[in-house]
Amino acid sequence: MQKEAAIREPLILGHKSYHDITEDVCRPIEDKAPKMWYILFGIALVVGLYGIGCILYLLGTGVGVWGLNKTIGWAWDITNFVWWVGIGHAGTLISAVLLLFRQKWRMAINRSAEAMTIFAVFMAGLFPLIHMGRLWVGYWVMPIPNQFGSLWVNFNSPLLWDVFAISTYLSVSVVFWYIGLIPDFATIRDRARKPISKKMYSILAFGWSGRAKHWNRFELVSLVLAGLATPLVFSVHSIVSFDFATSVIPGWHTTIFPPYFVAGAVFSGFAMVQTLLLIMRKAMNLEAYIHTKHVEYMNIVIMVTGSIVGTAYITELFISWYSGVEYEAYAFINRATGPYWWAYAAMMTCNVVSPQLMWFRKLRRSLLFTFFISIVVNIGMWFERYVIIMTSLHRDYLPSSWSMHYPSPIDIGVYIGTIGLFFVFFLLFARFFPVLALNEIKSILKGSGQSYKESPDYYKNH
Amino acid sequence: MADTKKYWKGIDELNDTKAFQDSKDVEFPEQNNSLENFLADDSLNESSTGRRDFLKFLGFSVAAATVAACEAPVIKAVPYVMKPENVVPGMATWYASTYYDGSAFASILVKTREARPIFIKGNKDFGITSGSVTPPIIASVLGLYDSERLQEPMKSGKSSKWSTVDSEISNALKTSKRVVLVSNTVISPSVLSSIEILKSSASGSFDHIQYDPISYSGIRNAHALNYGKAMIPSYDFSKAKTIVSVNADFLSTWLMPTQFATQYGETRNPDSEWMSKHFQFEAVMSVTGSNADYRGMTKPSEEESVLRYILDKLIGKPASISKGLKANADAAVTSLKISGEESLVVCGTNNTGLQQLVNEINNAVGAYGTTIDLYNELNLFQSEEGKMLDLVDSMIKGSVPDVVLFYNSNPVYSLPNGKAFAKALKTVKTSVSLNSHGDETAVACTFMCPDHHALEAWSDFQPTTKHYALAQPMITQIHNTASALESFVVWAGVAERVGKTSTLAYEKIKETFSDINGGNFDLAVHNSCVDLVSSTIEETFSFSSASISKTPKFSKGVEFVAYQKTAIGAGNHANNPWLNELPDPISKVTWDNYITMNPVEMTKAGYATTYDQENGLSLATITANGIKLTLPVYPLPGQALGTVGVALGYGRGGHGEKIGKAAYQTKEYGGYITDKNGNPKSIGENIFPMIMSSANELTYANSAKVNKVDGEYIIAATQIHHTVMGRHSIVRETTKGIYDSNGKESYNPAHMLQTIDADGSHVEKPVSEFDLWDAHPVENIGHRWGMTIDLSSCIGCSNCLVACQSENNVPVVGKDEVRRGREMHWLRIDRYFASAEEAAVGTRKDKDTFSFSAAEIAALNPKVVHMPMMCQHCNHAPCETVCPVAATTHSNEGLNQMTYNRCIGTRYCANNCPYKVRRFNWFNYPAYKKFTEINPAQDDLGRMVLNPDVTVRTRGVMEKCSFCVQRIQSTKLEAKKEGVPVADGKFATACSDVCPTNAIVVGDWNDIESNVRKSSEEKRSYQALEEIGVKPNVWYKVKVRNEENDLLSKLQVDKKAHHEPSHKQH
Repeated sequence: MQKEAAIREPLILGHKSYHDITEDVCRPIEDKAPKMWYILFGIALVVGLYGIGCILYLLGTGVGVWGLNKTIGWAWDITNFVWWVGIGHAGTLISAVLLLFRQKWRMAINRSAEAMTIFAVFMAGLFPLIHMGRLWVGYWVMPIPNQFGSLWVNFNSPLLWDVFAISTYLSVSVVFWYIGLIPDFATIRDRARKPISKKMYSILAFGWSGRAKHWNRFELVSLVLAGLATPLVFSVHSIVSFDFATSVIPGWHTTIFPPYFVAGAVFSGFAMVQTLLLIMRKAMNLEAYIHTKHVEYMNIVIMVTGSIVGTAYITELFISWYSGVEYEAYAFINRATGPYWWAYAAMMTCNVVSPQLMWFRKLRRSLLFTFFISIVVNIGMWFERYVIIMTSLHRDYLPSSWSMHYPSPIDIGVYIGTIGLFFVFFLLFARFFPVLALNEIKSILKGSGQSYKESPDYYKNH
Repeated sequence: MADTKKYWKGIDELNDTKAFQDSKDVEFPEQNNSLENFLADDSLNESSTGRRDFLKFLGFSVAAATVAACEAPVIKAVPYVMKPENVVPGMATWYASTYYDGSAFASILVKTREARPIFIKGNKDFGITSGSVTPPIIASVLGLYDSERLQEPMKSGKSSKWSTVDSEISNALKTSKRVVLVSNTVISPSVLSSIEILKSSASGSFDHIQYDPISYSGIRNAHALNYGKAMIPSYDFSKAKTIVSVNADFLSTWLMPTQFATQYGETRNPDSEWMSKHFQFEAVMSVTGSNADYRGMTKPSEEESVLRYILDKLIGKPASISKGLKANADAAVTSLKISGEESLVVCGTNNTGLQQLVNEINNAVGAYGTTIDLYNELNLFQSEEGKMLDLVDSMIKGSVPDVVLFYNSNPVYSLPNGKAFAKALKTVKTSVSLNSHGDETAVACTFMCPDHHALEAWSDFQPTTKHYALAQPMITQIHNTASALESFVVWAGVAERVGKTSTLAYEKIKETFSDINGGNFDLAVHNSCVDLVSSTIEETFSFSSASISKTPKFSKGVEFVAYQKTAIGAGNHANNPWLNELPDPISKVTWDNYITMNPVEMTKAGYATTYDQENGLSLATITANGIKLTLPVYPLPGQALGTVGVALGYGRGGHGEKIGKAAYQTKEYGGYITDKNGNPKSIGENIFPMIMSSANELTYANSAKVNKVDGEYIIAATQIHHTVMGRHSIVRETTKGIYDSNGKESYNPAHMLQTIDADGSHVEKPVSEFDLWDAHPVENIGHRWGMTIDLSSCIGCSNCLVACQSENNVPVVGKDEVRRGREMHWLRIDRYFASAEEAAVGTRKDKDTFSFSAAEIAALNPKVVHMPMMCQHCNHAPCETVCPVAATTHSNEGLNQMTYNRCIGTRYCANNCPYKVRRFNWFNYPAYKKFTEINPAQDDLGRMVLNPDVTVRTRGVMEKCSFCVQRIQSTKLEAKKEGVPVADGKFATACSDVCPTNAIVVGDWNDIESNVRKSSEEKRSYQALEEIGVKPNVWYKVKVRNEENDLLSKLQVDKKAHHEPSHKQH
């Protein structure tokens, strides 16, 4: 057990005992789901199914059902892809990087952040698949032995790097998440009364018995995985940014992209975590574990990454002028003043101005304000990708090919659909999985709990 | 006796051998034996095939059977049972022939594959058109496979038989008092003589009226007044050092563009001894106007004053003209004076008075005898609209002939009072149409007796006094049609109807040929033409002045010009999907006609001046001759203020006629947009009823009222941004003066980059010396295919675009998809207007004050550059590196090649293409319902036009220009068969093949003697977007305009002067 300064705000409020924690986390799983869950699940399912319908129509008819054209080969599809991948960034950052830095507050949020990551990456992965003209031969991007005259993939293509980056990221994230879940599943298994759920959870718990040996291995694996996952935090979005950075299109062809994309991803990922957790803590009575302090920490991350992103935007603008490259300069003039100025303005306001408000302690500790900003940030980050992808393409080198992009109903349907599907997954997670890493939380109870902070001897007497 | 007969089945039975004895009771000898043998084979038991192996085999067989069941349906290729002579499957056969559709004439070569005509190009070796064609000629091959072409004779709208139809028509002719035959200008001596036969067999009077929708009677009448003979002389633009054209779009639609484009092209080479100076005075920006060195925005009512001013100034009389036109008119006068008899003045307005003025000017400069040849007159366009209008008037008044025949003529559509005529036509006892479709006129007739398609029939033509041309059939008649020549003779009762095997037309033409003394007939067929020895009659013409006839009068207010578009012309080809989808060379709009108006005026009047896929143009009504039509208003820079233009040839077949599947508006998800009667709606509006018709002349202009109305109309254009934004690395333009007296660095400077040399100091080096990548091993090894495109020669005619579509099976996608920016053309022609911020297209006036928003708007009367753009086959192709599956790769001959089978459709390559030339198959064009009406590939007959050498692409794959790789391969194979290296000039892409001005040169760049190599190394050659370092295999050549441009010369010449000293300081 670690000693922590008393003046630090406690991470667990109230006089919780170990048992209380178990109860708090397991209750929502063991009780009947509240009506609200069914309502939300119903809405998410309908929206998700509508999205699936749109995708099926798209696959049946052709990519032409989207609003793309000869000039703009990617718009909402890849915007959504990058947006979701970005959102999927916070999970690994929280679980891996914060673990390595021994940030205790991460324990309240890492489980749901990781879950969010995985579901977001699912959604993200969908887009590169369905944006293909011929999905049925999409497996050709895999370097697998074949009989087409032993055709190999093109290792020069950043799109191929994407395939590797995303699939690695997804598999490591899933493993990491699952390893963390094992002791918690075991707790639920031990408490389960109904035979079916007992059976299910015992399968999921992988025969965890809570022996010291197990704990020892658990900690080791977590550390190893954290070490493995940390580079991934930087690699995934760097590689996603290579899709653009290695191209010749003004506005895409920018060396600043990798760090800028990573910062943006963390920025949007944390915002999404905020959005989800602020609702979840209320709905699932987890206010004692996820409270103002956690929100404040996350807001600081948002503020810092938001500032990095803002700096990147301004650097880009400066360089476009400083480079003296006619096309580069025009790409940015066009972004700011061309027909899509409103998207650029939305991006600037949401991503550069709004996080700066977090300098005010009062604002960054306001849950309502945080909720609002978290949504603003995710809107802003969607626009950022839209601005980068679309405004660069719509007016590139030859003015004869300049074009406009208008989304079709299917574009919108697929996007909204993925949000629906994401929530279907997330709600199922909240219903059947321990949303807090309860065994990890317990490890900080005696160091960071309110009871300990108020009287360090509290737990000796209880 | 019966017992003595012995029947036997084989020699064995006859001899009753042992083998026969053994086998005679076994019914299925082989099968039984083999099965028994198989089962009795002991080695089977010893086989190593155990249970596991058996299961493996079973599993494999089931899987294999399943997989086999999933195979695509097998489409059977039926081989020749008897191989026709001269047809080698897989090998193309070319035939020389001649195209004439009543308005355009050209000597052509037709490519056939397995006896299917699939491609048309000009015949460069023979004929008077020197290989030049127009888009409608190239696209006419598609008309052969039009499934809505009449397939058999019809009587009162019902199928009939030739025997029935023939007897009824000849009976009607025998008993009639008055017969009228309306045709377009017939230049076929054989058809004319068959009409004579028909005429002589008629019992009553027989009139043959020649009537063309576009008339040139003004020229004929003016020559009648000035030279005593109604004629159109031959014009030779190649000799004209000064060309003045008043409203004549001679490069695209006026008179003989197939001759003029090539002649004009010869005078536009800045490297030759002299370069012509071209002045254009016109209201609607035409293809010709866009190429002019000086272009004056001229109202139809000002044409007279322009001509009078030029004439008066030339003969030294005082003259005045409106301020806006003075500068150009003065320059034209000066230039005409300098070039004297080597000048040519033409006028496109059909009016005797104006044409007399033109004759006066041409006479004053002495053009007759040099650029104008009176002794080789043009036989085309003999329209007698006076006679036609008389007939129409009398018919409307009730005096109708007993029999009216229509041959290649559709007056119900093209007459100003066509509707009334159609009504009167219904009262005619016997009316016969020989037109190929159930068009506006045909459906008003009792009989439809469809003629063959031109590619199915023998034909002959005498386009000029000294030229005789032949057309031969490439294919047996697809439908039960009959040649018009034969029909006339049959109806005269002189011959019997034979059917498909009829040789009547052939015999008749052979007869005509021997009459005119043409020489060897087979040779003439091979060449498709013969030049005739000048006729023995020695006429001499001399000019005599005559008082100028009445010129068109316009009332105050808006004047409107009815012009022809390159593709649709007067409406003959309104059903051709390739032509409908061909972007207008100036407006870049497809599938529509519209009112053109100057954007400056539109802004004042509150019209929308920009448009894209979701934002349409404003609508307006146009009223003339008491007829009111609603059309969208298109912002066309260069349109004379106070005028509007509307294209002829649209609004066809909207009343239930069947003029072709692609002639109507279609809905977003397929099917036609229909009117309240359920008839499919035609595309655009017919404006023939609005033109000016005086007693004996049709003038294609009028006064009109234009009023903005509420509503928006979405237009499908392939280009929605019209200027080049001062981007000098895309378009380079200079003047003849600068070009002649300055070096490359002034008008065609290399892009310089800073680098550090061996001494560590900063130096500037051209971008071509920098390279991020290893060079592809294509230089100096084997072939490396390259292309140069001369922007000076390119006139924007769009032949290349249609030829490419035809050669490469490029799908037609229709208006809705074009509007979404998804046209599939592999080759496009970028058209850039200069903005007020540019001194010339692509050159900024002032780098410091340059305003991007102002540069987006075209100037009031802008300079224009046409820039054909297709895959640049970059040696460092950005598309190649980004494809995850290596579907697009570089060939060892320098081609950027696309492997459709491998493509998974990520579109990354298209995004990363700086030239945006890649085209994605958004839908399954050959099958999806949206394209059923418009894509010929969805039609069993239409599909026959597809080039079997080029894959039809499936949904979800990328495609683009391949440099006609199929042609490269066949050229190489030909050379290989002959055992010689590929000679320069043997390989031509479809685009270079049909270029009338030879602006496109292709060849092997590694061959240092090749034209393309030399061309690419000329001073004017540059690579578009050179600074991004993609190293294209396509070079463009600086556009040189023969004008004075002080600002440009200041910018280009002074910059050099400024640049060099500063360079030395380093």
